[in-house]
Amino acid sequence: MSRQPTIPLTPVSRRGLLGALVAGAGALAAASVQASIPAATGKSNESIDVLTPEEALAAYEAEIARLRAANINGTPVDLLERMRTDLLRALTKPVNERRWVMVIDLRACVGCHGCTIACVAENKLPPGVVYRPVLEEEIGRYPNVSRRFIPRPCMQCDNPPCTSVCPVSATYTNEHGVVAVDYEQCIGCRACIAACPYGARTFDFGYTYTANTTTSGVMFGAEQAVSYEQVSTFEYGKLHARHDAHDSPVGNVRKCHFCMHRVLNGELPACVTTCIGRATFFGDANDPESLVSELIAKPNVMRLKEELGTEPRVYYLQ
Amino acid sequence: MLKRLLYVVGSLGLLIGMWGLYDRFVYGHMNANYGSYVVWGLWVALYMFFAGVATGGFMLATLDLLFELPLFRGSGRMALWGSLVTLPAGLAAIGLDLGHMTRIWKVYLQPNFGAVMAQLVWGYTIFLIIIIVSLWLSFRPQPSRWLKPIMVVGLVLAIFLSGGIGALLGVNQNRVSWHVSNLPAQFPVFNLTSGVALMLIAIGWFGPVHDPRRSQQLHVLGLGLVVLLLVKGYYLWTDVSQALYQNSSHGAEAINLVLFGPYGWAFWLLQIGLGMLLPLIVLTTPIRNNGFAAGLMGVCVLLGLAVARANIIFPALSLPELRGLGEAFHGPHLSFTYSPSLMEWAVTAGIVGAATIGFVIGADRLPLFSRPVKSAGAAD
Repeated sequence: MSRQPTIPLTPVSRRGLLGALVAGAGALAAASVQASIPAATGKSNESIDVLTPEEALAAYEAEIARLRAANINGTPVDLLERMRTDLLRALTKPVNERRWVMVIDLRACVGCHGCTIACVAENKLPPGVVYRPVLEEEIGRYPNVSRRFIPRPCMQCDNPPCTSVCPVSATYTNEHGVVAVDYEQCIGCRACIAACPYGARTFDFGYTYTANTTTSGVMFGAEQAVSYEQVSTFEYGKLHARHDAHDSPVGNVRKCHFCMHRVLNGELPACVTTCIGRATFFGDANDPESLVSELIAKPNVMRLKEELGTEPRVYYLQ
Repeated sequence: MLKRLLYVVGSLGLLIGMWGLYDRFVYGHMNANYGSYVVWGLWVALYMFFAGVATGGFMLATLDLLFELPLFRGSGRMALWGSLVTLPAGLAAIGLDLGHMTRIWKVYLQPNFGAVMAQLVWGYTIFLIIIIVSLWLSFRPQPSRWLKPIMVVGLVLAIFLSGGIGALLGVNQNRVSWHVSNLPAQFPVFNLTSGVALMLIAIGWFGPVHDPRRSQQLHVLGLGLVVLLLVKGYYLWTDVSQALYQNSSHGAEAINLVLFGPYGWAFWLLQIGLGMLLPLIVLTTPIRNNGFAAGLMGVCVLLGLAVARANIIFPALSLPELRGLGEAFHGPHLSFTYSPSLMEWAVTAGIVGAATIGFVIGADRLPLFSRPVKSAGAAD
């Protein structure tokens, strides 16, 4: 039975926060897994560790203490800090009591594509594989024209049409409520791609940035870049090295997984932390104190293609 | 002469196919043009086409081996042989389409039977076994009492597997042009059409010339094909007219792509012109009793059906699920336009070549157009 967090979050200012970030980084880092260490050498399919509820609680309390130590009142906590504490608090709960959701504020998205690139870097995505493109839409006619940017991660539907069509159950909703792909089980039939109403899945055709491109022959530092392309990702909490052009995840369908390998280690998804407009939010919708719970209760919330009954876990504010 | 020509064409296809297979196995799917958006390409269309011919061929075989219609007596083995060479061709096409074809065993040992694809893999495997066993039984000197029950099971399976192909597409509620309830109902008719076309080729080109029933068989098969083409045309009309009536839905976009898209010529020229109109004209005239002409019309109908398979798959996948998705991120295989690559065509040529050679070898070397006569009181 895990102990529930008892320390309330005290608002701090940004100035206090900067100092606190440096001072308190150790507490979280100590509790987090040093996942990057096995990355270069680890064999595929080795699992990475995640925070236990006790470790999450310790990290949460340290985080709250750190923010208190900043000792400046009256200004709101940065949203990232709030989401991080929300996240640590959620990790102290049993897995089945969490409900991870993502909220994207379309009014705040500036279309920088930073989240797309952060995702590519975090998951070491090869050419042709994308988890979070940003769609652009022009509204109106000159002179009354505006643009809207719509980041599109996997919707992590509660009623996903992509899982039932898989002939070998390689894609399924895991215990965290995230639609996962078992790379060793996937036969690469791509039925799930055809079934996804959001186009949220792509197929890994085996491309690399350092070969089979028009500039690969004259690429400066290509030898070093090759090792980067072969380094393991931590998707689904496992190491997936990309050494072989014919072995998984090459030949598999790939998709956004809410960066669960980060989340379970107390870190927000890569697309959330890099969003310069603070347009992407992540957290536990089952926690009434969380930021995302507040956001999805707003009247301007919507989900994509709700009429299909897929029950997406990605909400948009418009 | 005709057989020799088919051997040459088949061998040429096989030769080209060798290069395609080499490319496929060395470079994987890199040199294919299907991608993450148009996710199924030429090989999936080819699979649907050949699987359709195989099930249709089996349906025709029951005329002799199950229902024992005197007119078609002796034609069942040829029809079964057609099924036997086309089904593996279809399965090879879909196998090569897989990202990890060596993991196909997982569908047998770790299946998700809720998925239509798993049902089809199991169904086609059982169906292939049924074809082999029924063909073997039909070759036995004495008629077997097991043949009819097996043909019954095979016929039921052929109908359901045909519908299964429609269901494989139809269950995707996000693809409006597929998600229509009568798509699985249409496929058995399409496949029966394939079977009749196959038998027109078999009897018209390879049937025993001196068999007095031959011209009557061609006559009945020709008229049967006319009826089936009309039914098929009616289905096409309902699909097109319903989708275009409001001309605003996702389904209308797909139909517009078929009719007036970059491959509209294939629809009008090959699917409608060559695959429907020409056979309708020829088969309603006395020319249908000419073996060569009847066989040629069979080829035309099969060609039209193959184009129709492509026209069901590609346009529906060529429409972005969300507006702007195609422009949002660029990279290889991230495109909503599709035309098969040279490697895809080469592999297709190889598969078609192999099926052609297999079919002609059977017609040329095996006693397919005869059948042991049931003797009084014979039981096995």
